[in-house]
Amino acid sequence: MMVSYILRKILYTLLVLLGVVVVTFFIRPPGDPARVLLGQRADSASVAALREQLGLDKPLPYQITTYMTSLAGGDLGRSIATNRPVAETIIERLPATALLAVTSIAIATLLGILLGVIAAWRPNTRIDTLTMSTSLLGISLPAFVVGLLLVLVFGVGLEWFPISGYVDRGAEHLVLPMITLAIRPLSIIARVTRSSMLDVLGQDYVRTAKAKGLSDATVFVKHALRNALNPVVTTVSAWFAGLLAGTYFVEFIFNWPGIGLAAFNAIEKLDYPMIQGTVLFTAIIFVTVNTLADILYGFIDPKVRLS
Amino acid sequence: MSTDRVESPSRLALRRLRKNTGAVIAMVVLTVMVIAAIAAPWITPFDPTTQILEYSVKPAGFRGTILFKKNPADPETPSIIAVSDWQLRSDTVYYRDPAGEPYSIARSALVGVTGDDFVATPTFWLGTDRFGRDMFTRLIYGMRVSLSVGLISESIALLIGIILGAIAGYYRGWADDVIMWLVNVVWSFPTILLVVAFSVLLGKGYWQTFVAIGISSWVDIARIVRGQFFSIREQEYIEATRALGYGPTRTIFRHMLLNATGPIIVLSTAGFATAIIAEASLSFIGLGVQPPTASWGQMIKDGYGYIALGTNWGMTLFPSIAMAIGVLVLNVFGDGLRDAFDPKTSQR
Repeated sequence: MMVSYILRKILYTLLVLLGVVVVTFFIRPPGDPARVLLGQRADSASVAALREQLGLDKPLPYQITTYMTSLAGGDLGRSIATNRPVAETIIERLPATALLAVTSIAIATLLGILLGVIAAWRPNTRIDTLTMSTSLLGISLPAFVVGLLLVLVFGVGLEWFPISGYVDRGAEHLVLPMITLAIRPLSIIARVTRSSMLDVLGQDYVRTAKAKGLSDATVFVKHALRNALNPVVTTVSAWFAGLLAGTYFVEFIFNWPGIGLAAFNAIEKLDYPMIQGTVLFTAIIFVTVNTLADILYGFIDPKVRLS
Repeated sequence: MSTDRVESPSRLALRRLRKNTGAVIAMVVLTVMVIAAIAAPWITPFDPTTQILEYSVKPAGFRGTILFKKNPADPETPSIIAVSDWQLRSDTVYYRDPAGEPYSIARSALVGVTGDDFVATPTFWLGTDRFGRDMFTRLIYGMRVSLSVGLISESIALLIGIILGAIAGYYRGWADDVIMWLVNVVWSFPTILLVVAFSVLLGKGYWQTFVAIGISSWVDIARIVRGQFFSIREQEYIEATRALGYGPTRTIFRHMLLNATGPIIVLSTAGFATAIIAEASLSFIGLGVQPPTASWGQMIKDGYGYIALGTNWGMTLFPSIAMAIGVLVLNVFGDGLRDAFDPKTSQR
């Protein structure tokens, strides 16, 4: 049962990834990419040469199959700007992005659940309203705006934290980018936790637990919170995509040498193999995380396996 | 026949919405924004692309004197000369530019007859950007871009999402499998990255931005329509339409879709906000709406360079605040709508 469930999940994921690869393949400048890259003034001979070098002179089906076979071999193509293999750049920059993403999602999850629980503890009181309206503001601001505001206040104004650079120059460089990236998921997790807690608190077994004479705190943590966390896990894994996309902007603002910064620079230069590679990488990570979450669910909740 | 009015669900929802103070305030702010965006040419003191280079990067509240010079190419928008002071002697205007250099110009070359006509000392309420363009004017024009992106992109998303979601939910079977596969493929990309990808593919520009955002954001709508259709499909009144011999188009659009309106409206409001953020993010990257058209994302990016210097932070702050208000208001309104359509949640 479990094995067939996992197999089905993995097969479907591969099918989805096939679609993802096809979409990624078409990320290229409109018209003739070689012409766009070299500009209107370039002579037709060098345009033709670049076209040949990029394989653009071949028919489209051939290009797609070539793209897929090289992908299968771990080859993401070469950057047009630096002529380095895209995969090499991504691997080289992965630790920086991973550090940022993992610390942010950890902070967002912990603080988000905490704030959500506090808000649900006494709903519709001042502390609940304050938490929920702050989190609404947090949802409404894109990462790059949050980042700029944090730079303005804590970097330039108060001079508490450095506004640019990587942790090799000190751990304090992590603070602002991490908070910037965490604010949106944190706000959403807080809201989901609150509403999920309130759902669970209305259930019969919670009333039974209270009727048994258990203290509020025991009921709250042992009975309610544990059951309220399921939707929160879904939110965290779904928000991982937004977080990964957020790294692009955050890394640019804080000059953080990760994959996102490489992608950002590539977008400015229309270096499309690099854009394809980073976007594909992000999508694969996201799909993998979600499939793992699905499989994990199958273990936790037998109902899921059967559907 | 009874004269009692039967309240329709949407009428009930509207009444609940009116009781929600936050949502009402949000709706008022939203209305003001829409009116300001439409009336932009009449309520802004400048043209959004007019540059007064002598008055570049001025702080909020700056007042500067300007002369209006006739513009033969476009009589509607006169050329602007920045001056520190001026004098009219016989038919010549003698003035000094902000650097103190003396100049003169024939009165006939200026707009109108007297000083009242050709001189003004406007206040740049939010200061100017690095090309000496009025920030307030550009902010209002940027709002135009943001709101139209929200409206048009969301319409595209709705069209695709409703059609695909309806087909999947009504026919099920292999049609559902194929559409859900597509949904999962699109869902595998973070929305903003997909928007970036489509922008690279479609090129930079106004319409390309609308389309790129629209075709990236239909997934949630398709999913919700499909889910609604799954449950509606089993109800008696849909069975009745089948018994009456109605075709699928009529059943889908006249009977099923109407009953899924609530969730669709709620999602569209959220989608509207997301589209505004997506456009700003695109302009921030340098894709999307291109200069000199004013866009919030671009204004934020323009001011970004000054932040590290610790000066002129208004250039970044004002468009950021404008965007925050816009998106916040849409989210509050969307929350209000959700509570209105689904009273269970509002009782909490």
